[in-house]
This record gives sequence, C-alpha cells and structure tokens, in this order.
Amino acid sequence: MAVPIPDATLATPTPPPLPSLVSSRRLRTQRLGRALRLWVPAGFLILVLAMCFLWPMVYTLPSPTNGNIVNASLPPFSPGHWLGTDQVGVDIFSQIVYGGRVAFEVSVATTVIGMVIGCALGVLAGYFGGWVDAVISRVLDILIAFPALVLALVIAEGLGPSEFHVILALAVFSIPAFGRVSRGATLVVRGLPYMTAARLSGTRGWRIIVRHVLPNIMPGIVTFSLLGIGVVIILEGALDFLGYGIPPPGASWGAMIANGQQVLTAQPEYVLIPSIFLLITVVALNMLGDALRERWGVQ
Amino acid sequence: MALVQQIQLQGGSGARGSARRIAGSPALRLVGRRLLAAIPVLIGVTFLTFVVMSALPNNTAQAILGLNASPSAVAALNHTLGLDQPFWQRYWHWLVNVLHGNLGTTVNGSSVNSELATHLPVTLELLAYSLVVSLLLAIIVAVLAARRPNGVVDRLSLTVSMIGLSAAPYAFAFLLIVVFAVKLNWFPVISGSLGSTPLSFLKATTLPACAIGFPLFAVYTRLLRADLVEQMQREDYIVTAKAKGVPPWQVLIRHALRNSMFTLITVVGLNLGTLIGAVAIIETIFTVPGIGQDLLNGIQNHDVPLIEGIVLVFALMTVLGNLLADLMYAVLDPRIRYGSSNS
Repeated sequence: MAVPIPDATLATPTPPPLPSLVSSRRLRTQRLGRALRLWVPAGFLILVLAMCFLWPMVYTLPSPTNGNIVNASLPPFSPGHWLGTDQVGVDIFSQIVYGGRVAFEVSVATTVIGMVIGCALGVLAGYFGGWVDAVISRVLDILIAFPALVLALVIAEGLGPSEFHVILALAVFSIPAFGRVSRGATLVVRGLPYMTAARLSGTRGWRIIVRHVLPNIMPGIVTFSLLGIGVVIILEGALDFLGYGIPPPGASWGAMIANGQQVLTAQPEYVLIPSIFLLITVVALNMLGDALRERWGVQ
Repeated sequence: MALVQQIQLQGGSGARGSARRIAGSPALRLVGRRLLAAIPVLIGVTFLTFVVMSALPNNTAQAILGLNASPSAVAALNHTLGLDQPFWQRYWHWLVNVLHGNLGTTVNGSSVNSELATHLPVTLELLAYSLVVSLLLAIIVAVLAARRPNGVVDRLSLTVSMIGLSAAPYAFAFLLIVVFAVKLNWFPVISGSLGSTPLSFLKATTLPACAIGFPLFAVYTRLLRADLVEQMQREDYIVTAKAKGVPPWQVLIRHALRNSMFTLITVVGLNLGTLIGAVAIIETIFTVPGIGQDLLNGIQNHDVPLIEGIVLVFALMTVLGNLLADLMYAVLDPRIRYGSSNS
C-alpha cells in the first residue's frame, strides 16, 4: 500500500497550534475584553453621531444661533435648556448638537479627500518606484515639513470663513500623511509572492493596483483614517477657536470654547461642556482605531 | 576600517594630522550631508508658503491704508512694497536677501530680524521647558509601565496617555487655568513677560509648558512603552541578559531602554516642526510674547515676510531636530559610527 507523499509546497507554513496552557475561562475573558475594546468606543461614537444627526429630527431643539437675552446664563438642568444657556441666552445643548454636526461633516470630508488623493499618490509611488517615487516622496516630504496649522490658517484667512474652505484647508494637510502610510504599506505588499504570481500571470499594472494592492493595504488605511478624523476634529476646533472656522452665526465646538473663555472664571462650564464632548469623541475614535488595528493585525 | 586606521596613524603627527582627522570625522560628514539634503526641503517649504500667499486674494496695501484709501494710493503702496511684481520675482528677492541675513520688513515697518530676535528666545525657552519635562516624565512612566505589562501602572499610563493624545490643547489649557490659576491661585492666568529670575520664569511658563507638553508626553509614553514591552518579549539579548542573571531593572534600563531610545529620538526630531500650531494657540491663550502670537498677527495682516520668517525658523528647527536625532544615533549605537567611516 503506497503511502501518499506529502506535498511540501502545500504544507501549511505555520506549525499546528500547541495545546493551550491557558485555561478556557481565561481565554473567554480575553475574548470578552477584546470585544469590549471594540464595541465600547464604537457604541460611544454611534451615540454621539445619533445625538448630532438624529436627535434634532425626533425632538425639536431650541435654535443653536438665536436666543432670548431674558434666558441668558441659565445654569445646567434648567427647564427647556438641560445644559443651560450661554451669555446671550442661546441653548448650549443645541449648540453642542449642531456644532458636532459641523465637526463630523468637516472631519469626515477632509479625511476622505486626504485619503483618496494621498492613497493615490502613495500607491503610485510605492508600486512604480524609480523617479515616480522620488518625485512624489520629495513633494510629500515638503508637505510634511510644512506646518499644517499655518497652511490651514493662511488658506482659511485668505478664502474667508466657511465650512467648505475649512475642509479645503485641512484636506491639504491630511494628504501627505496618507501618502506616507499608503506608500509604506504598498512597498510591503509589493514584495509578497502573490504579487509576483499576479504579474507572472500577465495581469495589467492598474488591475494589480486595484485588485491586489488596494484591498490589502485598506485595513491599515482605515485604522489610520480613524485616527486622522480625531486629529481633524481637534484642528477644526482650533480654527474655530481662532476665529477662522465656521462663520459666526453657525455653532461649533471650538467657537463655543472661545466664547466661554470670556467668562471662564465665573462659569467654567461654558468651556468644560464642549471640551468634554470633544474629548469623548476623539478618545472614542482613537480607541476604535487601536481596537481595529489590534484585530486586523496592522502595524 | 582602513580609513579609520589611517587617520589614527596620522592622528598623533601634529596639526596637519588633526585637521585631516576633523575633515574625515564621520560625524562632521554626516552633518554636512544632512545640511545639504535639507536645502531643497527648506526652499520647498518657503516657496510653497509664497505660492499659497500669492494665490490668495491679497489686500495688504488696502489693510495698511484703510478702507477709504484711493485706488491710486493703494497701487502706489503696492509698488513700493513690491507687491505688483510677479511672485517668483518676489520670492527670488526674498531668497537673495535671506542669504544675506536679511529677512525683510514686516507690514508694520519693523524688520523681521528684530521681531524674531525679541520673540524667538521666549518661544524657544517655552519649547525647551515643555520638551525636557515631557521627555523625562515619559521615560520614567514608560519604564515603570513596561516593568509589568498590564499591571496597574501600565493601565494607568495607557489611560492618561490616551487622554493626552485626544485632548485638544486649547481645551486642556483652559482646564489648567481654571484649576491652577483661578481655584488654587498657584500660577498667574496671563504670563505677560517671562521675568528674569528662574522662579518668575517657572511661574510664568509652567502652565503654558504643561499645555504644550501634555500631548507630547502622551505620544512619547505610548511609543516608548510599546517599544519597551515588545523588546522585553522578543529580543534575544534580553533573554541572554536575563539568563546571565542581570537584575530585571538593569535589563530594562541598560538593555531595553537604550535601544528603545532610537524610536523616541526619531519622533522627537520629527515632531519639532509641527509644534508651531500648538505653540501659536497656547501662546495666544496665555499671552506669552513669543513667535506663535507673531505668526497669528502675521496671518491676520497677510504679512508675507513675517510669516515666511517664522515658517523658515520652524522648518530649520525640524531639520536641526532630525540632524540632532541622527547624531544621537551615533552616540547610542557604535555600529553607525563605524559604518559611516567606511563609506
């Protein structure tokens, strides 16, 4: 009876798992911990998003821009204004809701623009190498050496305050970061055997990029973009804070902090409330990014 | 190696030998190479600033003369300021002047050189203070955390650094003001001038330095802790050291930390230039008379020479930071020294 010869090339590269020395109970708590680390920040984000985008559809909120001076400086938990009102009587909770909308709109739009352009540049540089890589890397180097906030401020000041201009100004700075990350990831992927296989089977360059490179660098890009959204929310707040962001009647977290600054000693909650929302949102984004990175095994 | 021996042989033979030794010193050659490589980046950054500033609607002359100025007066001032020339010509003039050590004049008429001379030291002192403190704290906390991964100290350090990473510096600055300046009254709310005695300097700069340094501390701690933990688990020399019976603390500090410093130093060097944003905001909040405030004024007035000067300073700081990081590599890792003397 002929014994089948095991095919060496088909053998699994990893040795069979050793019998686990960890008790199953410990494994279960580990798995639970990992799930919690993903779903707690995700839940927080969903809550904040729902608060900003769905809440105003369900319940009518006081106007985030007009208030009655009679109701000025109400403390939190006042009837009709559960987070109180600011110095001119505008409801704080509704400012938080509409300011949060702006923060999410700006940060997601900015990150998507930066991701699309940055990834295109980074993948081209990483895949083709040679002079393409040299030119693109040099440009990215300069953009990275360029102080982001200065660029954003200069653009926002020159074009005048508006949500679109803020997006434009911040997108310029998010491009080089995505370019660097996607170039590095592409360089790693390019050396893998399936790339050689694809090339040997006569797949065209652009098809390799779209079907083989992009899907494989996506996990890294997505986790990076979550961190990027957090950074952009803080930067957008900074622009608002300095008065170059959303034009005055519109609500924004940064502008709320700047307004609250005037009565900081008397009513610190005007600064604290938007700061806390800002902190929770960005912490949730960062933790979600970390959890996904751990789950997908991204460096 | 042959070169090193040759230099060592000639080293003892008088002044000519020592001159050759300096010229052949790998550290000096590294400095030279890095400074040469920095020139295109510096030119690129300043040129880009010029392009952006020129592409945007520009009403410097109108701003100086006021809204009632006649169009001919505006045109005349534009001419005297050289703003009617094409931007590459203006950039060329600016570049030539910079190479002669003259950074131009601001819109207000003062020279950029004197503006920087009065305000740059303040910013540098503030930055140095926050960098040194955040680095020292980060190293201590990261080592304590890496001693027992997933222990109490580790969890605490991860939480604090996650908050530091996510907190907006301006919001954190107000928290500091409310707690330490208003409630506890330990520090002044407004820094104003930094004072001359060390005590008044500390009093005026501690809060702004904390506001700048806390996010840095968070980044450094996370990075160093992750690197230390990975080394303690993976590296062969750690196993060897442990097997030899080196006490755990010494393994951590003399073996792991020494290697982890590379990552940290790289990040510190890279971060220097990007700090300008945080510096500008924090200086405005605490009214520290540094170049961050100058920058915001310059942006408001569309003051190209002033902005160019400040951007140049921070780009230079990035370049020098990276250079310093490379030199520190050579100090920390003997292989790099020998390697570069071969080439």
